[in-house]
Amino acid sequence: MTDTTPLDAAPAGKPTKSILVEDERTRARNRAEARFRAYGIAAIAIAATFLVILLATIVVRGVPAFTQTYMTLDVTLEANALDPNGTGDRDEIAKVTTFGYQPLIGQALVSLLEEQRIETPLPPPALILMLSQSAPAVLRDAVLDDPSLIGQTVTFELLTSSRADGYFKGRVTRESLARDRNLGPPHLDILDQLAESGHVERRFNLDFITGSDASESRPESAGIGVSMIGSFFMMLVVLFLSLPIGVAASIYLEEFAPQNRFTDFIEVNISNLAAVPSIVFGILGLAIFIQVMHLPQSAPLVGGLVLTLMTLPTIIISTRASLKSVPPSIREAALGVGASKMQTVFHHVLPLAMPGILTGTIIGLAQALGETAPLLLIGMVGFIASNYPAGVAEGFLDPNSAMPAQIYEWAKRADPAYYERAWGGIIVLLVFLMSMNLLAILLRRRFERRW
Amino acid sequence: MNEQHIASAYDRDLEAIQAMIIRMGGLVESAILEGTRSLDTRDVELAEKVRREDAVIDDLEERINEECARVIALRAPVSKDLRIILAVIKLSGSLERVGDYAKNIAKRTTVLAELGQIPGTNTSLRRMAMDVQSMLKDTLDAFIARDAERAEQVILRDEDVDQLYNAMFREFLTHMMEDPRNITACMHLHFIAKNIERMGDLVTNMAEQVVYLTTGTLPDDDRPKKDRTAFAAPRK
Amino acid sequence: MDDLRLIERAVDMNETKISANGVQVYYGDNHAIKDVNVEIADKTVTAFIGPSGCGKSTFLRCLNRMNDTISVARVEGDIRIDGEDIYDKRVDPVQLRAKVGMVFQKPNPFPKSIYDNVAYGPKIHGLARNKAELDEIVERALRRAALWNEAKDRLQEPGTGLSGGQQQRLCIARAVATEPEVLLMDEPCSALDPIATAQVEELIDELRQSYSVVIVTHSMQQAARVSQMTAFFHLGNLVEYDETGTIFTNPSDPRTESYISGRIG
Repeated sequence: MTDTTPLDAAPAGKPTKSILVEDERTRARNRAEARFRAYGIAAIAIAATFLVILLATIVVRGVPAFTQTYMTLDVTLEANALDPNGTGDRDEIAKVTTFGYQPLIGQALVSLLEEQRIETPLPPPALILMLSQSAPAVLRDAVLDDPSLIGQTVTFELLTSSRADGYFKGRVTRESLARDRNLGPPHLDILDQLAESGHVERRFNLDFITGSDASESRPESAGIGVSMIGSFFMMLVVLFLSLPIGVAASIYLEEFAPQNRFTDFIEVNISNLAAVPSIVFGILGLAIFIQVMHLPQSAPLVGGLVLTLMTLPTIIISTRASLKSVPPSIREAALGVGASKMQTVFHHVLPLAMPGILTGTIIGLAQALGETAPLLLIGMVGFIASNYPAGVAEGFLDPNSAMPAQIYEWAKRADPAYYERAWGGIIVLLVFLMSMNLLAILLRRRFERRW
Repeated sequence: MNEQHIASAYDRDLEAIQAMIIRMGGLVESAILEGTRSLDTRDVELAEKVRREDAVIDDLEERINEECARVIALRAPVSKDLRIILAVIKLSGSLERVGDYAKNIAKRTTVLAELGQIPGTNTSLRRMAMDVQSMLKDTLDAFIARDAERAEQVILRDEDVDQLYNAMFREFLTHMMEDPRNITACMHLHFIAKNIERMGDLVTNMAEQVVYLTTGTLPDDDRPKKDRTAFAAPRK
Repeated sequence: MDDLRLIERAVDMNETKISANGVQVYYGDNHAIKDVNVEIADKTVTAFIGPSGCGKSTFLRCLNRMNDTISVARVEGDIRIDGEDIYDKRVDPVQLRAKVGMVFQKPNPFPKSIYDNVAYGPKIHGLARNKAELDEIVERALRRAALWNEAKDRLQEPGTGLSGGQQQRLCIARAVATEPEVLLMDEPCSALDPIATAQVEELIDELRQSYSVVIVTHSMQQAARVSQMTAFFHLGNLVEYDETGTIFTNPSDPRTESYISGRIG
């Protein structure tokens, strides 16, 4: 009551301001707001542009890897070349190496050209260069599969060589072939005509998704399938190790651990671990798992272990965050009706934190899936040319590669056809990551409950 | 309107207070009747009883006020509940005053018992007392029934009591002028008549409180005032 | 009639349920409760009132050892329920909390069905041998919390779908379902509208038949309405503890007087 300052309205002489007229301050504030909005929109536009450019580039460059040029060829599997003794015995036939099949292909090509009335200056051995180096192997595999084919004329769909394929995809031009030892303009003339007659054709290439890596000289038959399996095994290892360990550790730290210096120290270190470069984990894995524990090199088990180490901090941090976000009132409620600490956590807190934990885990897995550097250090770039062995358990210990490592390998190789395959691999990897993220979103939607 | 509170204890509190008022009203009614009867029959013993029982009425008033204070403090009554409490406080005050007047009548009875009778006065006094008692009864009934109309009727009936009092006033004057030995008795009897007339006024006030409780507004203050003794002078 | 009221209101202080002697609570260096002595009667509603930070909630949480969950809190002194020291080394707080139920400020039903909310306590304490018994316990608890009529047709719906007042009554039902002997309520109505508040208060009044109820409230009016005994806390001290009517019409301590009449915060 000692306040003597009159709080009355404005002095009598002061004119009242109309709210219909914007004053200078308001105008300035509105301008500032408009500017800020413009910055925001510009930032988003720039980000969106980059994203579009990135995705477009990936798609444009990667999609050709999913198609491949095939040549339909009738090959006469002459008996005296393949099974001179006529035994029909598989072991006998196996003695004929792929070199024994090459002349057959050359012969088939010559007869195809004659049939199509295509004139060419090239001798049969040069004609074979149009086809992939894997073509004789395809023939041999078919024969070994079914020796009764010998002596018959069989129609094969053979991959063309990467350069022929590149020609149809526009990657290889006549000019660029001028100095090429393998393929020259005469080959392209033949290919053009064969394409017209339908003997050469570009089709979807399932082998790229299911197949294995191939030697540097025949990118056309390289596929990402085997490294996909490698990645899959690694993810299994990561999931089954990091989820229980990570969740258990976070529950202990968040709900049970006493607050003291030691736990503080652990917490700080977990946060720091999340920021440690992945290559450090790689060299750690190399030193401990391979050099000390003598686990096999290039094995998905070791890769999985290393990635587990790398994923654990992510999972622990996200799990703790989701445990923290469970309102304390739920804990109090459970304790209030006489639940023990553990009952409180397992009956109430954990179910509520589950969507967050699952999301965090999937994000962690997705991160691990895309990780390359540590895999390079432990040699997860095994060159696996054959398709995967049947046993699943062996899969954890057999040498293998992983998708990102495979992509890195391909990108490293000289042949531009491999470059194309690296882009294709990126698309496969991105599809995986996106579906994992989608799964995370779905899980969160499905399990999210309000409280 | 729902008559019940969600807090049933609140209802019980309010009911208890109103029950106490009714009990107090009953005690006051019988004090009026017994006071006048003791006067009528010059029954000193009955008068003594009335004087004793006034203590009970006084206690009850105190209790009611305490309970009202408690309800105000604990329940923060509003609206109708608040009016009930306010009315009850006033009713209990008025009832206590009425009880005091009854006690006063009984007190004078003991004096009057020693003095000679003044002819004709007993009947008028008894009639006045009966009137007031029935007014009180009706007021309390109106309070229970929340019946404003009935309370308004009570207010009008005060006129009769006032007229009776006027008549008696003149009568006492005449008696005193006729024979100065009557003065002592007449003075006492006049005070008794005046007491009964005051009781009537208090009961009227109570009836007004009932109207207020029921309707939320006090009745217009144009009730008939027939007590003209203030302007009376002995005729020369 | 009025005599009935007086009997109803009378508090039999001979039947002490909880007695606290020389209770001190420290939060780290902060001395939150200073030497509180209080006797809480059985079958009575006892209200703790006082300004924010006066220690009333802290003291309430000592009564079922909820303060154990706060690592920096330290309780000294002697708190006995039915003569047994609840801070005795042999006491398992989980068992204690089954005996001393608690209802919290914010309605906090589990994000489960209404049925599961109520059945949870009996389940973990093994109060029901089969489903039929459990059903019975749930119904009894919901009836006692005056929620049965509203909830009986939607027992499998989530408890979080109820209105605020219903949720709080669900929490009370949940607390009651474990058959506690003491019910602690930490500002149970602060998140509710006046009607829901009145319903919960009426419920508290009824629960008094079977339990010793201790309620912490910011609202003096609420303490006045529901309690028979009121304790006024100020700066960690128990300033005054008396019959509620006396506290609100004629308090003996000037600090109580100032607080209830709105003269100090």
